[in-house]
Amino acid sequence: MTDKQAPVPDRYSAFYWENAARGRLAVQACEECGQVQFPPNAVCESCQSQSLTARPVSGRATLYAMTVIRQAFHPAWKDSLPYVIAQVQLDDAPGIRIQTNIVQADPADLKAGDPLEVVYEQRGDVTVPQFRPTQKNGT
Amino acid sequence: MAFATRATAVVGVGYSTIHRETGVDSRPLAVTAAKQAIGDAGLTTADIDGIFEYPGQGTQIAVEMQRMLGIRDLAVFGDNSPSGPSGLAAAQNAVMAVASGACETALVFRSVTREWGQQSGKSEFPPADGPDQFLAPYGDYGAVIPSMGMRKYRRFVDFGGSEEDYGHIAVNARRWSALNDRAVLRTPITMDDYLSSRYIAEPLRLFDCDYPVTGACATVITSTERAADLRRKPVVVDAMAQGTGSRPSWSFADDLVFGGTIDCGNRLWERSSVTPQDVKVAELYDGFTHITISWVEALGLCGIGEFGDWVDGGRTIGPGGRLPLNTNGGQLAEGRLHGLSFLNEAVLQLREECGDRQVAGADVAVVANAHGPQCGAMVLTS
Repeated sequence: MTDKQAPVPDRYSAFYWENAARGRLAVQACEECGQVQFPPNAVCESCQSQSLTARPVSGRATLYAMTVIRQAFHPAWKDSLPYVIAQVQLDDAPGIRIQTNIVQADPADLKAGDPLEVVYEQRGDVTVPQFRPTQKNGT
Repeated sequence: MAFATRATAVVGVGYSTIHRETGVDSRPLAVTAAKQAIGDAGLTTADIDGIFEYPGQGTQIAVEMQRMLGIRDLAVFGDNSPSGPSGLAAAQNAVMAVASGACETALVFRSVTREWGQQSGKSEFPPADGPDQFLAPYGDYGAVIPSMGMRKYRRFVDFGGSEEDYGHIAVNARRWSALNDRAVLRTPITMDDYLSSRYIAEPLRLFDCDYPVTGACATVITSTERAADLRRKPVVVDAMAQGTGSRPSWSFADDLVFGGTIDCGNRLWERSSVTPQDVKVAELYDGFTHITISWVEALGLCGIGEFGDWVDGGRTIGPGGRLPLNTNGGQLAEGRLHGLSFLNEAVLQLREECGDRQVAGADVAVVANAHGPQCGAMVLTS
């Protein structure tokens, strides 16, 4: 049985996955100009500073675009069909979108603009942030 | 003088056979297409002093083509990076090389196999590192298929419209391919066929995706001055442009729906001697139907978000329509030759050599390739 792939962090993204392992979501921000960017990069894409830091975000997000995957192109995902891949806008980091799965939801009930909240899936020794519709009573 | 600035023309086009066989070496296909393009121009291999191809894979590179064609030396050559506008990237490099005087006559080729174009059935995957670390762990496989599903979804959010808008591109491809002997898929399909084709990455359907084939095409480009003495009616490169869009990326660009197509389209018309209203035939990339719709709007053939009205139930773009589109059947039906085939078809239309599918009075054509961060487009005139 092939496993779902775990991310391979690098020097720029390590903070992202380390935060996820602790149940936190953080994005890369520039210490010079405040630019927030995703995915993490070697320099600030606005002012080219190399002083980049991890900025914690709430994990609240808004659904921007989604697709319901009906054909698995990786064998490990066959048993997960259908599943949702989405791009979400983080509520407290405007201007960037991250890509994720929407879980704990019927795909037919989802639509752009829906409020979402982060949840975490353990994948071996790596933790993968995913999102679900915001629960009425909070998390 | 070290550098020239001169007008360029396409003077030869060629194709290998196009089919669905697997296990084929792509290099002899490329040689077949190249020889045909060179012969079409009335030239010989000895006249070729530049070779460009996309994207530089294995032994299918410019100097290997040179070697197979027995060309003693090249003045300029290039294996354009995979970050360019697919097959058209190599043609644009050739235009720049000829225009600048880096070479006199350039050969361009793109050769693909069905296996290369096919996404299903893969069993080996590279580690999820680099940008993939934010995609693969979420089941984002099949190249840009999930991202195309999201583009189609988001287009509906931004502009409304219907699945039929997309279906018109798919149905149109088969209307034209029925008139093209080279096409691999020539059986007409109906809108019902489109709407009942299965979802791959909903709302992306099977019939939104192009058809992997084995085959090659090639193009010969030289100066308009030289072109005047050659065998065919020259097709002049009126303008060309590329575009990336801001924060270029297939997945994390600022503009998911259009990618770099709008920037590229605006740049193209700023440089052109003609306008979108002058276009008689459009050959616009259809690796996915979403890409074609983006280009129609980005090139100003209709307003942004207005494709659904403009296409008029498919009448606008079909045989006899106001703006015939993808008259070879595109990659949806002729087969996935990956870009250069759009240029070749435009050339054949402007030379009025398209037989049953000839667009009457075709004197201006627009060609575009790719989407996302890899956009390229050309205006051609006869």
